[in-house]
Amino acid sequence: MDDKFDCIVVGGGIAGLSAAMTLARAGNRFLLVERGEFCGAKNVSGGVLWGSDLHTLVPDYWNHDDAGFERFVNHRRLTFMDDTAAFSVDFKNADFDVPPFNGVIVLRARFDQWLAEQVQGVIDSGPHPEDSLLATDILVEELLVDGGRVVGIRTGEEKFYADCVILAEGVNNLLTRQVGLQRDYVPSDHFAVGVKEVIGLDRQVLESRFQLAGRSGLTNEFVGFASGGVEGGGFLYTNRDSVSVGLVLAMKDLGEKHRKPYDLLNQFKSHPAVRDMISGGEVLEYSAHVVSTGDMRSMPRQLFKPGLMVAGEAANLLLNSGKAIQGMDYAMRSGILAARNAVRCSETGDYSENAMAQYQSDLEDSYVMKDLKSFQSAVTLFHSPAMYDKMPRILCDFGRSFFGIRNEETPKAVDMLKSSVKKHSSLWEMAKIGFKASRSL
Amino acid sequence: MPASQPLSISERLGKVSYRNQGRASARAHIVVDTNVCNKTCPHKRTTYVCPANCYTSDESGEVHFQFEDCIECGTCLYACDQGAVTWKYPDPEEGRGVNWALG
Ligand SMILES: Cc1cc2nc3c(=O)[nH]c(=O)nc-3n(C[C@H](O)[C@H](O)[C@H](O)COP(=O)(O)OP(=O)(O)OC[C@H]3O[C@@H](n4cnc5c(N)ncnc54)[C@H](O)[C@@H]3O)c2cc1C
Ligand code: SF4
Ligand code: SF4
Repeated sequence: MDDKFDCIVVGGGIAGLSAAMTLARAGNRFLLVERGEFCGAKNVSGGVLWGSDLHTLVPDYWNHDDAGFERFVNHRRLTFMDDTAAFSVDFKNADFDVPPFNGVIVLRARFDQWLAEQVQGVIDSGPHPEDSLLATDILVEELLVDGGRVVGIRTGEEKFYADCVILAEGVNNLLTRQVGLQRDYVPSDHFAVGVKEVIGLDRQVLESRFQLAGRSGLTNEFVGFASGGVEGGGFLYTNRDSVSVGLVLAMKDLGEKHRKPYDLLNQFKSHPAVRDMISGGEVLEYSAHVVSTGDMRSMPRQLFKPGLMVAGEAANLLLNSGKAIQGMDYAMRSGILAARNAVRCSETGDYSENAMAQYQSDLEDSYVMKDLKSFQSAVTLFHSPAMYDKMPRILCDFGRSFFGIRNEETPKAVDMLKSSVKKHSSLWEMAKIGFKASRSL
Repeated sequence: MPASQPLSISERLGKVSYRNQGRASARAHIVVDTNVCNKTCPHKRTTYVCPANCYTSDESGEVHFQFEDCIECGTCLYACDQGAVTWKYPDPEEGRGVNWALG
C-alpha cells in the first residue's frame, strides 16, 4: 500500500515531537499529525522543561541561534504566602549555568514550533526525506482498529495506515478513551485547571529586577494565599521579555468552593510580593488548560495495545509535587521510549501486544514511573489543606515575629514557632505533617 | 493593559486569538444539554470552573452555554459529571478554538 507508514504519531506536542525526532534519527518512515495550525498552537504549560533529555534529542541545542527556549534555570524559589507576607526558600546555583542545563523555561507556541523545525531538519537530511511528514491543521477523529489491532487513523474521509501508532494527544485524551485504555468519563477528582498570563516587560527591567545575566532565569513556585484557600499553588517564571504568572487549581475543590479561576488569578497578582514583580508590565496573553496531578488513581493502567503505544500526558504522566510540575520532561522521555520501541518492532516485524508491552516495561524502568510511584505520598501531602493553607500561614506568622525586630524583649525562635503553630493548627498536627513530609519528599 | 490592575474575563479573552474569527458562523465543538443543567444538576460546577466563562448562570439562576469563547482547555470534560457535555476538538476548517501566540 502506498500510504502505509512505519509509524503514525498523533499529536505534535512534546511527547509527539520527541517520538518523531527519535523516529527521524532512526530513518523510519512516519507521519505526525497535529490538529493545530502549527505545532504548539494549541498548547499551554507553565513552564519549565526539567532535566537534560532535550540535549539527547537536539545535541548542543543551546548553541542554536534561536534555540526555542526562553531562559535556562539557575535560580529557584519556593514561596509560602499569607495575605500580606511571603516567606521564601531561595536557591541560586552557578553550577546550573553550565549546559546541559538543569531546566529551561519555554513558551509552547514558540518552543514546539522550533522543535518541529528541528525534526524537519533531520528528516530532510535523512536518506528518504519525502517518505516522512509533519502534517498540521489536521484533526485525527478515530483510530482504525482491525481485529483488535490498531492499524491506522481516520481524519474526515481520509484514512492512513501504519505498522503502529504512537498516541501523544495530551491530557484530554479522546482517542485513548476510544480504544478503551481510559474510561469514557473521567471525573475531576485528580485533575487541575491551570490559568496563566504572560506579562511583557522591558528586557532590561526584567533582567535587573530578577538579577538575570545573559539567558539565566528564575522559577518561583507559591503556596498559600496564591490559591485563595483552594487546593493548588502558583508560579512565576521568567521568559526572555516577559514573565509567565499563573495558578494550578484542583478542579473539584474550585467548584465546591464556588471560586472562579480568573478571579483567583487577579487576587494572586494583587499580593504585594507578586505585584512588585510584575509592575510596569503589560498582559500579552491569557491562557488555560487542564493539568493532571500525578495521582496514579486516575492514570490508565495499560499504555499499549497491539499496534499502539500511549505517551505523555495522554497517559497522565505528570508529577505535581509542589516544588515543580513535571509533565513536559515525562512527555519527552515517554515519547522517546515509545519511538525506540517502535524502531525495535520495525526491525523484528513484531507489533503484537507483547512487543508493544516492552514500551511500558521500559517506562517502568525509567525515572518517570519510579518517581511517580515513590512520590505518591508527596502528591497527597501537597494536596492537603494543612499544606496549601495552614503551613504558609504558620511560616508567615513566624517570619513576622522572627524578622520583625521590636524594642521589646524577644522570645526565642522556637517559642515564636510554637505560638505561630498554635494560632493556626496544633503542635500535634504539625508534627504529623513533618513526619509525613520527611518520608514523602 | 497594565499587569498590576485586576482584569475582567472579557478583557482577558480579548487577548486570545481564535481561529476562523472572520467566519460568520462556526461549527460548535462542544454541545451542552442545558435541560440537564437547569432541571437536575445539583451543583452547576462548570459555571465556576470554566476559565473562559462559557458557562454562565443568569439572575434567575438559569445556565447558558456558548462555545465561541472556548479556549479548549478541557476542564468541562471532567467537571460535568451529569452527562450534559458532549466534548470534541474543533474542526480545523469550520470550527472555532484557539491559536496561541505564546502558550
Ligand atoms: C498552566 C500549566 C502549567 C504547567 N507547567 C508545567 C511546567 O512548569 N513543567 C512541566 O513539565 N509541565 C507543566 N505543565 C504540564 C505540561 O504542559 C504537559 O504535561 C505537557 O504539555 C504534556 O505534553 P504532551 O506532549 O503529552 O501533550 P500536549 O502538549 O498537550 O500535546 C498534545 C498535542 O496533540 C495534539 N492533538 C490532540 N488530539 C489530537 C488529534 N485528535 N489529532 C491531532 N492532534 C491532536 C494537540 O493539539 C497537541 O499539540 C503545565 C501545564 C499547565 C496547563
Ligand atoms: S456541571 Fe454539567 S449539568 Fe451541571 S451546569 Fe455544568 S454542564 Fe450543566
Ligand atoms: S473546554 Fe474549557 S474553555 Fe472550553 S467550555 Fe470547557 S471549560 Fe470552558
